[in-house]
Amino acid sequence: MRMTTRGLLAVALVAVTTAFAIAPPARAGDLLLTAAKPDRLYVIDTATRSVRSEFRIPNAGAHITTIVPSPDGKVAYVLVNRMESISGINLKTGREVFRADLSVPGERVKDFCAFTITPDGKELIVYELPTKLLPNEYRVEEPRFAVFRTNAGLKAKSIRAYSAPRRLHLMLMRPSGKSFYAIGVDLYEYDVASGKLLNTRGIQKWDLVAHSQPDLLAFWPVTEPTGVFTSPVISDATAGGITAMKTGLMSLDVVSGALDFADFEDTSALIFSTVLAPDRKFAYGVYSTLTKIDIEHHSLAQRVPLDHTFYSVNIATDGHEIYMGGAMCDVAFYDPQTLQKRANLKLPGCGDQSLASLRVIPAR
Amino acid sequence: MSIGLPRMFSLHASLLGLFLFGAPAAGATDAPSGPTLVRTYCSGCHLEHGGSFERISSIRKSPEGWVMTLFRMHQVHGLALPEDAHDGIVRYLADTQGLAPSESAAGRFALERRPNARDLDLGPDLAAMCGRCHSLARVALQRRDADDWLKHMHFHVGQFPSLEYQASARDRPWWTIATTELPAKLGSLFPLNSAAWTAWSQGAHRELMGSWVVVGHEPGGRDLYGTAEINTDGHGGYTARYRLSDTRGGTVGGESHAIVYTGYEWRGRGELGGRASREVFAVSEDGSRISGRWFDPDHEERGGDWTAVRADAAPQVLAVLPRSMKAGSSGPITIVATGLPAGPELSLGAGTTVRITSVEAASVHAAVEVATDAAAGARAVTIGRASAAGQFAIYQHIDKVDVTPGFAIARVGGGKTAAVTAQFEATASTHDAAGKLVELGPFTADWSTKPFDAEAARTHDETFGGAIEPGGRYMPAGAGLNPVRDYSGNNTANLKVLARVHDGDVAVEGDSHLIVTVQRWVTTPIY
Repeated sequence: MRMTTRGLLAVALVAVTTAFAIAPPARAGDLLLTAAKPDRLYVIDTATRSVRSEFRIPNAGAHITTIVPSPDGKVAYVLVNRMESISGINLKTGREVFRADLSVPGERVKDFCAFTITPDGKELIVYELPTKLLPNEYRVEEPRFAVFRTNAGLKAKSIRAYSAPRRLHLMLMRPSGKSFYAIGVDLYEYDVASGKLLNTRGIQKWDLVAHSQPDLLAFWPVTEPTGVFTSPVISDATAGGITAMKTGLMSLDVVSGALDFADFEDTSALIFSTVLAPDRKFAYGVYSTLTKIDIEHHSLAQRVPLDHTFYSVNIATDGHEIYMGGAMCDVAFYDPQTLQKRANLKLPGCGDQSLASLRVIPAR
Repeated sequence: MSIGLPRMFSLHASLLGLFLFGAPAAGATDAPSGPTLVRTYCSGCHLEHGGSFERISSIRKSPEGWVMTLFRMHQVHGLALPEDAHDGIVRYLADTQGLAPSESAAGRFALERRPNARDLDLGPDLAAMCGRCHSLARVALQRRDADDWLKHMHFHVGQFPSLEYQASARDRPWWTIATTELPAKLGSLFPLNSAAWTAWSQGAHRELMGSWVVVGHEPGGRDLYGTAEINTDGHGGYTARYRLSDTRGGTVGGESHAIVYTGYEWRGRGELGGRASREVFAVSEDGSRISGRWFDPDHEERGGDWTAVRADAAPQVLAVLPRSMKAGSSGPITIVATGLPAGPELSLGAGTTVRITSVEAASVHAAVEVATDAAAGARAVTIGRASAAGQFAIYQHIDKVDVTPGFAIARVGGGKTAAVTAQFEATASTHDAAGKLVELGPFTADWSTKPFDAEAARTHDETFGGAIEPGGRYMPAGAGLNPVRDYSGNNTANLKVLARVHDGDVAVEGDSHLIVTVQRWVTTPIY
């Protein structure tokens, strides 16, 4: 993709500086995907903790949120333009290879962070919130799932659409490619081909003993490296006549379909997003602190303050390092054992990551 | 964000900066009429049917409400209005589709931009559905029937799609409630048609020209009193010329230019004592009194209460300054009143000796001695044929100090968004012989802060948040990340504000709670 000389210089400087300052032990690394205002998509080499590529997303509208990599790791699909467009960026060339502008004249369509891709990489399923723009009033229409073919080019139009519930914030494809999960008021599972609602579980329909209705809104679609999506959950739990606010962890195994929920502490810090370590013994959550959660014992293992707020967390495929982003213009690298900071990588141009996903894909 | 509507008019750069206060009046003989303006600039989308315009004619609002609507039409739909057309439309709609005084009464605090005001209590459901984003006063300052309230809900979600995802929305079927129960409830609470509006809109309202007696109080600061001469400006507006005195000494001149919307909504722009001021006043239904708040346009939280009464009104006491004196003390006092006779006699009740030192058009100055054994309690004040209870009291000692507001918010400042300060005021009370607490008015105090709790102490909020000035005004620190704080947090703070009032050798303390928080990026005419 097009890159300015200044941008290249900045990337080079960061890379050099980083290499001298915080050269990590050599190991097969992952690539990290993050994005920042106004229109930047970054590929970060975790082995060198440096920016490998900086791409400009056309017509991003200074607003970038969810990133969904293609299953082969060659294309990143990014929700841009105030949640009204999905842009597919080739991660080798930086070229925009897919574009779906969801809004059309007379109808504004937003996607609140939720879209997913089939395992064969051929179809994107996008959650659409349409509003009819009539001459002197708006009319909110029913939400829908719209399906786009990823080879449809830069003027992609949906090839089929299905009815969807209101207030979804996340979609996760199952590995079979036959169904996907949608998370919002409840946990729904839909058939990819027919759009049929297969089942509804959990969340507001959860019958949690001695718990209030749970609250969750983690809209970062991270299932790597385990195939398990996790989300912090807040609820009030009553025991012995005493009610306390609890933080728990919801986990959804998109492979097996197993759904679990367990409190791990009386709420003492906010957590926006979490990730499960590959050994499945610990999960890590971020906001203004980094929290280590003991999965086996349902307990708070450790917590450290962070330099600033981070909304997005992820972990190395082999679990050796925690990555944090989603706010301001640096990505932080932490030790999962000690929760000590190993390094910060400042993104060239210092655009705000502003809730962007932080995704891990295999290095190629 | 274009939504495909035709951009009919070129952008007028001054539209964004324009507001209600004293804009050039659209009253010249060649100015187009209100219906013509609406027809010209609005009917492209809001179709006209027999003199009614779709949507527009289904709504009544305050002048500020109409300004916000026009701002949105500009910002979202690309409508650009010439300045005089903007003003003419606001004036026409506020006059013909405004609110009766009784309908705007509950939400006046929002029109007056009162800092730290307590919002309306319309119940927990409306607090969650509406009041978590904006004041419920903003809701209560509009009138629609259920069908238009329903369209309002569609507008909300169409314009702000994250509404359903926020806390206090995602715990309930927000959209279902917003499209069923809520429009019905709002249509019942705040319907388009009302007897009050019918009566007010059909009634005649007094012109405001003439001489007025004014009293004003700026919390933590000064008391002002004097006169205002109000005249027409020849274009449907008014001019006011102020000659005021400050009880701390000196005179304060000023003038303003105002438009009165809806027959009673005075919006003025001018200066007071050499500083720019804005006026949001309401004329009483009988046209005898103008009251409200004036404020600094650059710091809306700075301002004061304002009352003006026609100088030829029946004799009445408007203010007694100071509002109390201590037994055994002596000093000057000022009575502000209407209907003062030549050579008035002044009485401050038992235990006081009064000697009038000067008489002005609307004020009397006297030297007062309060007997050492004067009983504590309220005193009736009589001047000429005017008398007032509850405006003056004697105390032996101060029993209690209250700090107002009892809970305040200040905001750090920097960049394009100035700090929002918080002004505190210490008021004292004493017990009378019956054991009843009697208010003594504002007192000077020594001001200080301390951490509100252990966590605020740990994070050194007192050091980072800002500082309180000797006059009780809290000045917040700069905005932005502070790398020496936990999480590089802003200079936010959770503080207890302490006022120490000295009563002879004794000091009496009162306190308040102050939150210093982050900047507010969108400041609307009605919060």
